[in-house]
Amino acid sequence: MSTATRRMSSLLPNPVAGVRKRFRAWWQQRLPRTDTLLLTQRNVYILPTRAGLMFGVTLVVLLLASINYQLSLGYVLTFLLAGSGVVSMHVTHNTLRGLTLHLRPPGAVFAGTPALLDITLTSPGAARFGIGLRMESTPAATLSWTDVPQGGQAHAQVSFVPQVRGRYQVPALSAETRFPLGLFRAWSVWRPEAQVLVYPQPEQPAAALPPAHATPGGPTARRSADGGEVEGIRGYRRGDPLKLVVWKKAARSLETGGDLVSRDTSASVQQQLWLDWQQCGSLAPEDRLSRLTAWVLAADRGGAEYGLRVPGEETAPSHGDAQRKRCLEALALWR
Amino acid sequence: MALTWPSWRHLPREARDTLFLLGVIAWTVLPHLGHLPVWCGLLTAAVLLWRAHLALSNAPLPGRWVLVAVLALAAGLTLWSFKSLLGKEPGVTLAVVLMAMKTLELRARRDAFVVFFLGFFLVLTHFLFSQSLLVAVAMLVSVWGLLTALVLAHMPVGQPSLRQAGSLALRTAALGAPVMVLLFVLFPRVGPLWGVPQDGQSKTGLSNTMRMGTVAEIALDDSIAMRIKFFDPPPPAEDLYFRGPVLSRFDGKTWSASFSSFAAPRTELRTVSPAVHYEVTLEPLRLTLLPLLEVTTEAGGIDGLQTARREDLVWSTDRPVLERLRFKATAHTVFGHGPLQRGPALADSVALPAGFNPRTLAWARQLGSDARYASADAQTLAQAVMQHIRTGGYTYTLDPGVYGEADPGGAIDEFWLDRKEGFCEHFAAAFVVIMRALDVPARVVTGYQGVETPPVDGYYIVRQSFAHAWAEYWQEGKGWVRADPTGAVAPDRIRRSLGLKPAPGFVAGTIAGISPRFLAQLRESWESLNNRWNQWVLNYSRGQQLDLMKKLGFESPSWQDVALLLIGALSSLSLLGAAWAWWDRHRQDPWERQAHELRRVLRTLGLGALVHEPPRALALQVNQRFGTQGQALSGLLMTLEQHRYGRTPLRRPSADWLRALRSEARALRRRMKTAAR
Repeated sequence: MSTATRRMSSLLPNPVAGVRKRFRAWWQQRLPRTDTLLLTQRNVYILPTRAGLMFGVTLVVLLLASINYQLSLGYVLTFLLAGSGVVSMHVTHNTLRGLTLHLRPPGAVFAGTPALLDITLTSPGAARFGIGLRMESTPAATLSWTDVPQGGQAHAQVSFVPQVRGRYQVPALSAETRFPLGLFRAWSVWRPEAQVLVYPQPEQPAAALPPAHATPGGPTARRSADGGEVEGIRGYRRGDPLKLVVWKKAARSLETGGDLVSRDTSASVQQQLWLDWQQCGSLAPEDRLSRLTAWVLAADRGGAEYGLRVPGEETAPSHGDAQRKRCLEALALWR
Repeated sequence: MALTWPSWRHLPREARDTLFLLGVIAWTVLPHLGHLPVWCGLLTAAVLLWRAHLALSNAPLPGRWVLVAVLALAAGLTLWSFKSLLGKEPGVTLAVVLMAMKTLELRARRDAFVVFFLGFFLVLTHFLFSQSLLVAVAMLVSVWGLLTALVLAHMPVGQPSLRQAGSLALRTAALGAPVMVLLFVLFPRVGPLWGVPQDGQSKTGLSNTMRMGTVAEIALDDSIAMRIKFFDPPPPAEDLYFRGPVLSRFDGKTWSASFSSFAAPRTELRTVSPAVHYEVTLEPLRLTLLPLLEVTTEAGGIDGLQTARREDLVWSTDRPVLERLRFKATAHTVFGHGPLQRGPALADSVALPAGFNPRTLAWARQLGSDARYASADAQTLAQAVMQHIRTGGYTYTLDPGVYGEADPGGAIDEFWLDRKEGFCEHFAAAFVVIMRALDVPARVVTGYQGVETPPVDGYYIVRQSFAHAWAEYWQEGKGWVRADPTGAVAPDRIRRSLGLKPAPGFVAGTIAGISPRFLAQLRESWESLNNRWNQWVLNYSRGQQLDLMKKLGFESPSWQDVALLLIGALSSLSLLGAAWAWWDRHRQDPWERQAHELRRVLRTLGLGALVHEPPRALALQVNQRFGTQGQALSGLLMTLEQHRYGRTPLRRPSADWLRALRSEARALRRRMKTAAR
C-alpha cells in the first residue's frame, strides 16, 4: 500500500470503527470518575478470548471422538477439561474482583513527554497473578503486568503522552487479566478523577535568554552573568539545593577539615531577568509559550532571579523551585 | 555438555518454560512409541532435542522452509509406512510429528495454544489404543503438565516457580473435578453419530458371513468381547457356547445367514438343564445381534434396543449395537430345539451348490454307501465323521495358510483330503458340507466358546480370540444337535481354560523370588482394582446410567430424562453461583455492620455519632450528655474499644455485646423519659 492510499484510508472513516468509538465513548460516560476504584461484580466484565473459543472447539472435537469411538476415558478427559475451563472462568473473574485500584496524584509534565501514572493495587484476600494495566485507548501490547501478594499491595505504572498544555484529564485506564488458563479475559474500565498539569512543550532548540537588567538603584552586579569566578560563598546550610554547592571549593574545604561550601545567591539577586511575551518576536501564541517555557527552564538552571510577563498575568521576579513551578503553571494555564 | 548444562534454577525464564513444555510433550508422546513406526519416535526425539538445544543456547528458531521440509519428510515416511495418510495409525503418527514440529514454531501466544490443544488431542489418541489404569494415570500427569504450562504462560511477572504454577493448575483441575463427575455420570451416552472409520471395525470379532481365513484374523485379537457374571453356579467351560450368526447358506465359497428362517414355523424350545442366571457386559460388536449363551431364554430390558430371539436361537436387535451394554439374562445350557419332523423349512440346510468340492462329495457318498451306515441316522453319521477327524491325521493350527488358491471351487477338497490342517471354521465347514452330502440338514454356527478362568472379582472374561465356529445337524425326533468337530481334533481348545499369562517383568520376577505369596496377593489386588476400573469407569454406559436413574427414583427412565437431569443439575449450579454473586455483592464487613447498628442506636438517644468517630470519642459524648446516668453505656463503648483495638482484639464482633448495648440504650431512654416527666 502506498503512503497516499494509506492516508486516504485513514481519512475515510471506517463505519465499524466509528460505531465502536461512539459506543465506547457512551459507555465511558456512564462510569463515574474516581481515583480509588473497588472492582466488584458490577464493573468487571468477562468474555472468552479467541483461545477460549478454540478451546471450546477442541472440547467439541474431543467429545465427538469419545462418542464415536465409545471411549469412556475420552469422556473423562473432555469433562475434566470442561470442568477446568469453567473453574478457570471463575478464577479469572476472581483475579480482578475485590481488587482496589488507587491512583496516586500524578506530577506535572511537559507536553509531548510521557506522564507516568503510579497505581497501587490492593488485594484484601488471596494472592493475584498476571494483572495487566494499560491506557484504555492503547493496544494490548502496552500492558504493564503485575502480581499482587496475599493481603498486600503492588504498584504498577502506566504512561500516556499528553499533547496539549493545560489541565489534562487522565484518560480511561483498563485493568485486565487472563490468568490462569487464558481462556477468558476479565477486564474493567476505570476513569480516574485526577488531572495532570501539562506545561507547554519547551522550544527545541531553545533561543538565547534575553539580557538581564540590573535592578535600578541596587548595587552593581558582583559577578558576570555567565558565571565565571564565584565571588559570594558561604558555609553549607542544611536544605541548600545541590546545585548551589560549589564543588571545587567544597573539595578543598573538606580536605582541610572544613564543611561543604555553597554559593551565596543573595549576592546575585540583584541581577533581574524579565521573561516577556513581547520579547518573543512575531511567533504564534503557542510558540511563544514554548519559548517562554524554555527560557524559564534556562533561567532556573542559571540560578537567576526572573519574572514572567504574559498578557493579563505577571509573575514577580524570584528564584528557586517555587518560582519555576509558579511560572510554568502560569504558562500551562494561560489562555 | 553436562558441564555446561546450567542449573535448572538459574535458567532464564523463557528457556525453563520451554524445556518444561518439551518435557511434558515427550511424556505425552512416550506411551505411543510402542505402536508407532521407529522413524516417528526418532524424528520426534530429534526435533524435541533440537528445540531444547535452541532454548538453552538462546538461538533463533529455524525458518519456515526447514519446517516445510521436515513436514514433507514426515508425510512421505507416513505414506511409506502405512500406504495412506488417513486412519488411526497414520493419523496418530502425523499428530505426534506435528506436535513436535509445532514446538519449533513457538513464536506468538497463538502458537502456544495450538501446542496445548494438540497436546489434549494427543492425550485422547492414547485411549484409542488402551484405556487401562496405567494409561489413565500417565495421561492424567500429561494433562496436569499441559495445564501447568498453560498457567505458566499466563504468569507474566518475574520467575514463578514450577511448583507454584503446578499447584495452581492442580487446584483448577481439582475444583473442576465435581463438574467432570457430574457430566460423566449424567451426560447421555449415545451410540456413534456416524460411521466409524474402518479401524473400529477391523477389531470386532463376529461377522454375518464366513470365508476361509477370516476367523484366523480375530483369533489373534486379545481384546475383550464381553464379561459374564454368574449368579448361579457356573456351567462347565465346555458347555459355554455364545451363539452368534447362524450360517446356513453356502454358495461354494462364502457362508451366510439364511433369510428363510423368518417363515419357519415356530417350534418349542425344550430346555433340559436348570436355569442359569447371569449378567453380561457386552462390548460394542457393531452387529445386529447379541452373542448370548446357548440357549438364553430371557434377556433384554435394554433401553433403546429391541431384542428378540429368532427361530435359529440368535438374539437379534433392531439396529447395530454400537455401545457397551450391560443386562441380565437367563440360560439353559442343555436343551433341544428345532422341528422334530422334516419339513420344507430345512431345505436350505441340505442345499449344496453344484460344481464345488467334488472330491469331498465323492468321499461323503463313499461313506454313505458303506454297509455300516446304509440306514444309519444322523447321529451315527456325525459320529463317523468325527471319528474320521480324530483318526484321519488332521491337525489343529491357527496358521494353515490359504485354501482354494489353485482351485477356487475346491477349497474344502484341499483341506479335507490334501493338507488336513486348519482351525475351527475349516472343520465346521467341511463337517457341514459332508453332512449335507449325506442328506442330513446341517449348518455352521459362529460365536464365542469358553471363558477365561479364574474369574476376576466374579467376572469371567470372553475375549475376541475366543471366537469359534461349530456345526449343528438335524436329527429326526430330536431337532438340531450341536457338533463341534474342532473338539474332535483339539479337545483342549474346548475344555481347557484359556487364561492368558502375561510374561513377568523384571520387577515382578524379583518380587516373586522374594515372596511368591506377596506377589500373588499383589496381582490379585491389582486385578481386582483393574476390574473395578473396567466396571465403573470404562463400562459406564447407558445401562448403568439408567440404573442410577432408577435408584434416584425415576420410573422407566429414558436418555431424555438423563439429559433433563443433567440440564437441571447444571442450571441449579449456575443459579447457586448467581445467588452467591448476589450475596457477595451485598456482603459487608461484620465490623462495619456493627458500627452501622451502633450509630443507629446512639442516634435514637439524640447523639450525633458521626461515621469517623471511634468508640472512645462516642463514650466521651455519652458521658458529657448523660453524666453518671450514661456510665454503663460509655463503659460498653470502652469495651468495644478493647474488642477492636485492645491487646487481644476479637476477630469478629460479639453478638452479646450488641444485645447489651441495645438493652442499655433502651433503659437509658426510659430513665431520661421519667426524668423529663
